[in-house]
Amino acid sequence: MKFGQAMKMAFKSISGSKVRSFLTMLGIIIGVASVMTIVSIMMGMTKQSLAYYEKAGSNRLEVYAYLYNGNSVFNDLYDYCLYMGDYVQGVTPAGNLSATVVYGDKNSSSMDNPPQMYLGSDQYSIVNNFQIAHGRDLSKIDVDNYSNVCVMGARAAQNFFDFTDPVGKEVLVNGLPFTVIGVYMEKDPNNDYSMDNIILFPYTAARNLGQIVDMSQVYVKCRDSNSVKQAKAMIEGFLTGICGDPNDYTNQKGYFYTYSDDQWQESMNEQAAMMSLVLGGIAGISLLVGGIGIMNIMLVTVTERTREIGIRRAIGAQRRSIVTQFLIEAGTICGIGGIFGVLLGTILTLIGGKLLLGGMILWPSLGITLGAVLFSVVLGVIFGLYPAIKASGLQPVVALRAE
Amino acid sequence: MLIDIQDVYKIYGEGTEAEVRALDGVTLSIERGEFVAVVGQSGSGKSTLMNILGCLDVPTRGTYLIDGQDVDELTDAQLSHIRNKQIGFIFQSYNLIQGLNAYENVELPLIYQNVPIFRRKDLVMEAMERVGIADRWKHRPSEMSGGQQQRVAIARAIATKPPIIMADEPTGALDSHTGKEVLYFLQELNKEGSTVILITHDNSIAATARRVVRISDGKIIEDREQEVDWL
Ligand SMILES: Nc1ncnc2c1ncn2[C@@H]1O[C@H](COP(=O)(O)OP(=O)(O)OP(=O)(O)O)[C@@H](O)[C@H]1O
Ligand SMILES: [Mg+2]
Repeated sequence: MKFGQAMKMAFKSISGSKVRSFLTMLGIIIGVASVMTIVSIMMGMTKQSLAYYEKAGSNRLEVYAYLYNGNSVFNDLYDYCLYMGDYVQGVTPAGNLSATVVYGDKNSSSMDNPPQMYLGSDQYSIVNNFQIAHGRDLSKIDVDNYSNVCVMGARAAQNFFDFTDPVGKEVLVNGLPFTVIGVYMEKDPNNDYSMDNIILFPYTAARNLGQIVDMSQVYVKCRDSNSVKQAKAMIEGFLTGICGDPNDYTNQKGYFYTYSDDQWQESMNEQAAMMSLVLGGIAGISLLVGGIGIMNIMLVTVTERTREIGIRRAIGAQRRSIVTQFLIEAGTICGIGGIFGVLLGTILTLIGGKLLLGGMILWPSLGITLGAVLFSVVLGVIFGLYPAIKASGLQPVVALRAE
Repeated sequence: MLIDIQDVYKIYGEGTEAEVRALDGVTLSIERGEFVAVVGQSGSGKSTLMNILGCLDVPTRGTYLIDGQDVDELTDAQLSHIRNKQIGFIFQSYNLIQGLNAYENVELPLIYQNVPIFRRKDLVMEAMERVGIADRWKHRPSEMSGGQQQRVAIARAIATKPPIIMADEPTGALDSHTGKEVLYFLQELNKEGSTVILITHDNSIAATARRVVRISDGKIIEDREQEVDWL
């Protein structure tokens, strides 16, 4: 029998037993779609938390230092960081301002997602990976002069000014006029809790609003991961000079600690390794369940198919023709099932990303998709071929008698 | 000699307690154009004999020559070819493929013969018209009566115009009127030159055949010619 005939025969057989074909396809569709969706969403979660730190800025050093006499160490640290220019790119306090910002009829306290207000140095944008879109950034002069100015993140600017240019406009901060001098470029779209929804003030301006700023927490941006280690060691030495030894209980001067992204990175890597173990397990179980489904349908119909093979053999089909036909049949069913599985899996992954990952546009991972399709299709073809290989090797009369 | 078996045995579970000698040293020759009825009681070995003659099964011992060729020496492809071209089977339980309609069932042996599609259509319709089932060509086996299904099975057996027709209790599941029609077709085919081997346990059915071979406990106990009861 020619290959084209075997193909036609296979298609006839598929359309002749719609329920059987459909159930087999369903097993594959469910197997592929569930593995794709589960694994992709879990991977999306891991990626999202990694991406957060990427956008926030990597190679950062978090420094926490204070003196028991209440004086700030920030200015000394700022100068020291300038001195460490080979390793350090910028330094800023990580202070928060709680205030109400008003522009026209827009009021921060009545917004769905009110902006975060930060108090920073002129190097805030370097440390936090922001870039100026229009206007200008905070300057050292703004900080030194206690200027009533602010810079807005893209989302905050849009919330207050819609699509008009905010640069040069005045907003009221707790009733006090502040000039918007610049807007940062958008860096975190598609996220309700965007990092772009911020307003940055010079940390000195807090005094004009009658607020005392906690300057004990500081971020230091380093050039690369090696610099982080260098800067960490140097800053620890420097701060020991100012605050005393933090491990010495008799130390009456102050306290400090430093924490680097590296440390965070390490624990993140551990988590990721853990995660991939869990993922592997879940993917394995989903595939197993899908596989058992496929297996079931194929084995349930094996008697019927064995008799059919007996009939075909009795009227003159060669063993080869039967195996070819069943191979095409199983391959076609599994292939179509695989395609629909990928479609469904993609849709579910997109929906999952939208609902579970804060509106993230999540595409399924190519590797997982290929893996799931390959596994299901190979399994389906094996079990589809099983009766053909077994029954076509029997004497026709034995296959005909199958019960 | 078309069919020639010499001292054929079919033994199930040989050497065990439960040994069954379904065929116990059968020797039989059938000439081209004969109409042979194989009769015997249930369990006497009739089906076993037909399955071996039809190359659906192999004997435990003994030789089988079909058209002078030793079946034992044939490959799967050659045996398939014989079943496909030389023999048309009609079974008691019809053995139609459920997923295919009547037309597709009849077409099947022609596909395995690589008959081109335009020629196939003529042969299928000719066979179906012959047994008066052409108007049901679109029906699945599950949508037809037993008699109709058996006609489709006969159409499938004769579509390839094989020189040998083998029928194992073809009327077993049919009422006497429909059964008679089936036997009539077999007589017609025989008149046209086909060799017909008819298996039955019913002596009145065997009366439609020129030659009667009676078996009992796997042995041939009678082999005679008779006056034919033409339908
Ligand atoms: N696969 C098998 N295993 C064991 N014994 C078998 C097998 N097939 C047939 N037999 C035995 O061989 C003997 C002959 O069986 P066969 O089917 O040829 O009888 P039969 O003459 O066709 O009977 P019936 O008229 O009931 O169809 C029986 O005793 C049966 O039990
Ligand atoms: Mg029988």
